[in-house]
Amino acid sequence: MILLLSVTIGVSVIVVFPNSSEAQSELKTFVTHSGEIIRTTGEIIDPLYTVSTVEFDPMEYLREFNYGKVSKLSDGTTVREYTIIAEDDKVMEVSPGVFYNVWTYNGTVPGPTIRATEGDLLKINFINNGSKEHTIHFHGIHPAGMDGVFEAIGPGGGKFVYEFEAGPVGVHPYHCHVMPLEEHIIHGLYGVFIVDPKEGRELADEMVMVLNGFDTDFDTENNFYAANTIPFYYQHHPIQINTNELIRVYVVNMVEFDPINNFHLHGNLYNYYPTGTDLVPSFYTDMITLSQTERGIMEFEYTYPGKYLFHAHKVEFSEKGWVGIFLVNDNVESDESDDEYGR
Amino acid sequence: MAVSDTSKFKVVASGVIPFAFVVMMILYIFGPGSDLLDFGVALPEVTIEKVDFIDSEIQATVRNTGPIPLQVVMADVNDRIQPAAVEPDGFLERYETTLVRIPFEWNESEPYRIGITIDDGTRFEKEIESAAPALKFTPEFAIFFAIIGTYVGIIPVMIGLLWLPFIKKISKQKYHFFLALTAGLLLFLAIDSIEESIEVSNENLANSFNGSLLVATVVVLSFLTLYYLGNKIVTKADSLNFSKPVAIGLMISIGIGLHNFGEGLAIGAAVGIGSIAFSTFLIVGFALHNTTEGIAIAAPMSRGKLMLGKLAIMGMIAGTPAIFGAWIGGFAYSPFTSVIFLAIGAGAIFQVILVLMKWIQKENNGNLSTLSIVSGFAIGMLVMYLTSILV
Repeated sequence: MILLLSVTIGVSVIVVFPNSSEAQSELKTFVTHSGEIIRTTGEIIDPLYTVSTVEFDPMEYLREFNYGKVSKLSDGTTVREYTIIAEDDKVMEVSPGVFYNVWTYNGTVPGPTIRATEGDLLKINFINNGSKEHTIHFHGIHPAGMDGVFEAIGPGGGKFVYEFEAGPVGVHPYHCHVMPLEEHIIHGLYGVFIVDPKEGRELADEMVMVLNGFDTDFDTENNFYAANTIPFYYQHHPIQINTNELIRVYVVNMVEFDPINNFHLHGNLYNYYPTGTDLVPSFYTDMITLSQTERGIMEFEYTYPGKYLFHAHKVEFSEKGWVGIFLVNDNVESDESDDEYGR
Repeated sequence: MAVSDTSKFKVVASGVIPFAFVVMMILYIFGPGSDLLDFGVALPEVTIEKVDFIDSEIQATVRNTGPIPLQVVMADVNDRIQPAAVEPDGFLERYETTLVRIPFEWNESEPYRIGITIDDGTRFEKEIESAAPALKFTPEFAIFFAIIGTYVGIIPVMIGLLWLPFIKKISKQKYHFFLALTAGLLLFLAIDSIEESIEVSNENLANSFNGSLLVATVVVLSFLTLYYLGNKIVTKADSLNFSKPVAIGLMISIGIGLHNFGEGLAIGAAVGIGSIAFSTFLIVGFALHNTTEGIAIAAPMSRGKLMLGKLAIMGMIAGTPAIFGAWIGGFAYSPFTSVIFLAIGAGAIFQVILVLMKWIQKENNGNLSTLSIVSGFAIGMLVMYLTSILV
């Protein structure tokens, strides 16, 4: 009896406390919501406030526009040529420590932001290096054969050239349209397509925010939400902007599963242009609601410097990553950096 | 000599050779460089075995219960991501545990779902019905549990023992009735222990522990160990200056003691988890229930001389484990050890039932089917069932 007892207790002690001897002594700290500082001898797992980086850099994506390779036709029409390569075997760190099989256009989620002026002739050389069929379906106006729906491009190097005139003016999504559609979208085959009006828009600090999510355990519920893929990224890497400078955000909602998403800005209101198709704002608000692929342009200026949150006011989304901070610097002289817009 | 040496060698060799082949087969299938079984996808799994609510913090004990090593990378409360710390670290080999500390201003008696996400993005969850502060070890609580253990374990058993003079004076038939009643009571307790341990293992242990089979194995091991040791005690009873009834009484009290340890665990854990109303029921129920355990000890003892000292000791053996159980259940609850102790208790009781039945059979000249024995057994089960409804 005693023997049996001691054996079972011994075994259970080993099973219950197998790692008691590996304790580390070095103290690390992290900060909680309430600003409390927590000390631990272990490892910190904090995607919210602890500054961390992953392979994809949302800060780089934020202000990166792809204007294509520019040439002119004899009649003066601008031709823009882009190359987009689809892949579906990449495993990316979508949140610190969380690895997920993303399907990508040009290696990133979202794919490159394609930008052109209304009336430009676009040639998008599409190469499918994936293991499944993929396409690019652009929202906008184009011939039926360029819709990226009925002409699936084969895996292992299949090619197609999407050719159409850029239009209408606004901000549009593009995404893969192969069935099962949901699967191709949620794995990351989407990006933003901006069509500028011929007369251009007022000079501004421009940025793109794709509101997206990841269902990393395939239960048809998103485990993570974000502006530009990485949860909480702009919270621990605030977006630096200047006072009295026009900020223009092209926002596109690509969240699946949840019927709506929204965008709330702190300490300010913005002019909102739904789909960006009209040059006169429809709303002056601090809250818009976006359904799937619903998008628009937000314009605002901050008067007071400091830190301002922006986030989904569907708080579940913000507490799972869709939250960020604008760090407004007090800069009297707004130094608008010249973009290399190929006019 | 030489002849017997070679034959001994042959015996050893014939035993070792098949074993060597088993080792070779295992090496061939699983060994380095083998790709025979290198197919399929191994799914990782973690189990949140325990959640403690302490000052402004929720602590989850997480075990890797899947087939492959994994990394704990994120914690959430009610499906909302929270900053957290893992001690000692997030990398878990098979069966390794880690403590996830989530700073969180939780509200008492509200339900919480604690989630753990691992490196492949899979999220595992445990739901807590009602948050209550984890018990800290304080002398006040230790005394509190000791008092409860006394009420639940020692006092009811002692009260039950007071039936001894009554049992002593009754006829042989009625005596057999009480012995059978004892066996019925004990059978109920054994089934109860098994049910409880399977329940604890289903609720808290991962499938990889094979909960029901773990319980079955421990029950059988405990039974066999006690069966062997018990027979030794009984056969040596005379030389040890024990009478046979005393030996049987002692075994019954050890078996009941193990069972009461399990009851103590249940009470301590219930208080620890904060289901106070539930634990009040537990305490009242167990107290009534346990007076019958006193009868179980008294019945065999009634045929020897009246030995108050020995009776009191047996009452203590049967009763005091409830105190230790309450301490462990309240301050250091671990589902794994609870399952083990409950199963050991069940095995111990089965052994006692066997000894009792053998004794009744011998007393009754090999006949077990008399009305007094059958009805005693049946009423034992019934009484236990009816008192158990109170729990």
